[in-house]
Amino acid sequence: MGTLPDEIKPAMQGVLPAHLVTCALDGTPNATVVSQVYYVDPDHVALSYQFFSKTIKNIRENPRALASVLNPETFESWDLEIEYDHSETSGPVFDTMDMQIEAIASMTGMKGIFKLRAADIYRVISATKNVGERIPLSEIGRESGTS
Amino acid sequence: MAEEKDTPMEIKQQIAENQQIIDRLNRELARKNNEVRIIQQISSEITSTLDLDRILETILSAMDRILGFQHAMILLKDQSADKLKVAAGRGYDHTTIGAEVAFGHGVVGVVAERKKMMRIGNIGVSVRYLMAVRANLQEAGQPDLSDTAKLPSLPNVQSQLAMPLLVKDRLIGVLVVESPKPNAFDELDEVLLTIVANQAATAIDNARMSQMVEQLSRLKRFFSPQLAELILVGGTEDPLKTHRREVTVVFLDLRGFTMFAEQVEPEEVMGVLRDYHAEMGRLILEHEGTLERFTGDGMMIFFNDPVPVPNPAERALRMALAMRERVQELSKKWRKRGYDLALGIGIAQGYATIGAIGFEGRWDYGAIGTVTNLAARLCGEAKGEQILVSLRVAGEVEDLIETEEVGPLTLKGFHKPVPAFSVLRLKSNA
Repeated sequence: MGTLPDEIKPAMQGVLPAHLVTCALDGTPNATVVSQVYYVDPDHVALSYQFFSKTIKNIRENPRALASVLNPETFESWDLEIEYDHSETSGPVFDTMDMQIEAIASMTGMKGIFKLRAADIYRVISATKNVGERIPLSEIGRESGTS
Repeated sequence: MAEEKDTPMEIKQQIAENQQIIDRLNRELARKNNEVRIIQQISSEITSTLDLDRILETILSAMDRILGFQHAMILLKDQSADKLKVAAGRGYDHTTIGAEVAFGHGVVGVVAERKKMMRIGNIGVSVRYLMAVRANLQEAGQPDLSDTAKLPSLPNVQSQLAMPLLVKDRLIGVLVVESPKPNAFDELDEVLLTIVANQAATAIDNARMSQMVEQLSRLKRFFSPQLAELILVGGTEDPLKTHRREVTVVFLDLRGFTMFAEQVEPEEVMGVLRDYHAEMGRLILEHEGTLERFTGDGMMIFFNDPVPVPNPAERALRMALAMRERVQELSKKWRKRGYDLALGIGIAQGYATIGAIGFEGRWDYGAIGTVTNLAARLCGEAKGEQILVSLRVAGEVEDLIETEEVGPLTLKGFHKPVPAFSVLRLKSNA
């Protein structure tokens, strides 16, 4: 039994952007928005490496990170503790991500400009569904009704 | 989890979640059970016919009825170029049939290029994101941005699942299903569509093959086998449909043939014609001309159709010169038997209407227009061993040949005298 349950898959299709928090060696945190956290297998996810960024710099020196993904149908959020494992520049995971990026890049006239440099593979340490943090929709309705 | 004491709220939540999982598993199980039925049904429907349109229609309707894919398209690979054309679609307001997609363009184009399937559920947001990146790059003066292309698809498409149609690693086309909803397709859809795609690829390929064999045998009635294959492989539009094109037309016939035919036995006439046709036929093929027809000693050949060729006038002229030379040799043999025959040739260039002419059971490939009339009249005016060309042809090949003006000639069917030139020889450097 892996760390990622099947029900998390809709949150990993890039419909809603995800948040990614990394940390530099000196402890300075960095939070950013990433367009998609890709599902690889029950114990791994992948992030696209397109441009060199503060996130990439942090990850290469301090591999631990936290990704927060949202299910676009239920708006349930998940926190994933992840650890950078390795980068791939070929193989099925890279191909799948590369094809998607190329398809969209070609649709926006940026074929060859906006492209995948590598698929960064992360091991998933834990996946936690944030239960009870949201205000149920029924309650929002009740509150607005009473005010 | 066992150590923590569940509050009623959490238990309720857990029960609701479990129910969701059970529902989902039930749905998946129902679809899984359907798989076998689907395979059998679609398979028997599409392998029972070789009619391509029916196969495409059957696939799309089965996907809609049985699998619930409401928006689907089948694109077929162009025979000669790296592009796809929409061959059939279902669930679209506007007709997309015939729309083209270049390899490497959009989801469908990338699937065709890589021969791998793609499932994507966030097209809208991805495109918006990249358009923002594009705007930034534009502002920064990035020079290599290309235009954004319009692709055949739903106007508000969010999800696509595209499958390459492969027969032994050869790409036949792409099968794509779409949805205006994000994340509309999952792994199970991938499995189902893979099954359909495999069967569709084989059925489409078989139908196309049989269509090609049929078309080839039809074309072979009009053109040389080589030319028929060239037309098919080249993916040229059906040449038998009436079309208009600029062609160079060559008419030839033998001076003295009528008298000769009256004076000798028919067997002798046939023998002379056989030699003459064989030699002329060889030269026509060599110069890639199209023999429109022959009547006794007369022949009409044109260039630049059905397969377009560079420099049609030059080809026509070089063929005519080679023919004149060859008939000169033949006539030495004929003279020994007492036959006095010499070749006359007329060449003209211009637009003609071309296509299959005739009636069921007896079709010919023919060209109609002033140009054919002019070439025929010039041939009629040519003396033995003379090649007469129109002003247009003389202009096209003036760097190649030395000519002598013989006109203007008064020709039947032309209300004004027509300038004409007699071809003397090739220039020494041509």
